[in-house]
Amino acid sequence: MKREGMWSLKLSTAALVLIPVAIGINYIGKFFAELLRLPLWLDSIGTALASMLAGPIVGALSGAINNIIYGLTVSPISFVYAITSVAIGLTVGIMAYKGWISNLWKAIVMGLVVGLVAAVVSTPINIGFWGGQTGNVWGDALYAFLLAHNYPVWLASFLDEIVVDIPDKVATIVVAFAIFKGLPKGLISLFGGGKEIEKL
Amino acid sequence: METLSLYVDRDSPVHRVDPISKLLYILAATAIPIILPSLLTAAVVLAISVALLLLGRTFRRVIPLISVIVFVLLTILIIQGLFRAGNVTPLFQLGSLIFYREGLLYAVRISLRVINIMLAFAILILTTKPSDLFETLVRKGLSPRIGYVLSSVLQIIPQMQNTVGTITDAQRSRGMETEGSLAVRLRAFIPLIGPVVMSSLTQTRERSIALEVRGFSAKGKKSFLNEEIQEPYHRFIRWGLLLSIILALVWRVAA
Repeated sequence: MKREGMWSLKLSTAALVLIPVAIGINYIGKFFAELLRLPLWLDSIGTALASMLAGPIVGALSGAINNIIYGLTVSPISFVYAITSVAIGLTVGIMAYKGWISNLWKAIVMGLVVGLVAAVVSTPINIGFWGGQTGNVWGDALYAFLLAHNYPVWLASFLDEIVVDIPDKVATIVVAFAIFKGLPKGLISLFGGGKEIEKL
Repeated sequence: METLSLYVDRDSPVHRVDPISKLLYILAATAIPIILPSLLTAAVVLAISVALLLLGRTFRRVIPLISVIVFVLLTILIIQGLFRAGNVTPLFQLGSLIFYREGLLYAVRISLRVINIMLAFAILILTTKPSDLFETLVRKGLSPRIGYVLSSVLQIIPQMQNTVGTITDAQRSRGMETEGSLAVRLRAFIPLIGPVVMSSLTQTRERSIALEVRGFSAKGKKSFLNEEIQEPYHRFIRWGLLLSIILALVWRVAA
């Protein structure tokens, strides 16, 4: 199956329509995580799924728009984390294109990479806005412990972020992977793979 | 149609100001305290934002937005006050814990910055209808296709939330457990989110066909539903805000 390049900026209507749905999935993931009182955010499943289906550009757009909308409707602070969401969309999109969603183990590796990328991008934002904290109880306890033992702020902050991000992103990618594998083939080809099969 | 938004419908001078000016205000309220990093600048910006929110008769709606971050700000105050590198001057003591002046000052500075940005955004969010904001952005050159995506998110989320209710009830009536140990709750996640995701993704096919049929990808100039409202003072506000940022820069360089 021949695809257009990963970085194609020609967004099909189907790919554009996917973006609001991806953002809706992000919301609902977060909602269920809170309903079930899971110790994870799970608020980027939609972004990951959009990246797997339609590539890094659509994934990055979903991430950015997700945080803009979240900022407009729930909490304005989320605007600044749009950069993290864009990074997540790009990473998943590139890795999925390179074949890292062929089996569960590769998906878990992808989750680790995404968690690392998210932590690297979020840390400067956390330091700039919150003095390095994340607002997560476990992460912040670690942060306070490291700071009390004279570790530098950037390291304490990075570890604060990563202990939260790695489990969260691995879980996110695994859920997105499970859903992706369960989708009908016709639907997958609608968004990216199927230029030859079905074009809208 | 039900949409998601924090917009408060009031008739106030702040509501009548155009969205671009409010975006510029966010820029100014964020940039000026960074360019001139004194507590006084931050306090002045804070006072202006509060005044604008009071003028827009939306101040009470800000309190729930701020209270979400107050807890985090309190932990920052405690952690930085106790442990910040460069803490030398003890300020006061609680039991065996010593709070230092430098760390507390740093925490106050951070808190003021975060609250300032929150309030500036709150002015935009509480006094501007999201659809008006998106329409203005499209007028200013944002792609209408992205404009559509932005407004459709606000309609899709309430729709999906309705589906969520139905599916949660359906799965519970089949005996799925949503309470109990972490493993039980983790296992419930996929059966809950799966059906919502599948049905919403399937709907995208119909939605994209419906859009195509209505000329969504058609080339040519798009028209707008509403007339553009232009008041002479809008331009005045915009230039005033840009000028204040430039003045702050000049002040910083000169001083």
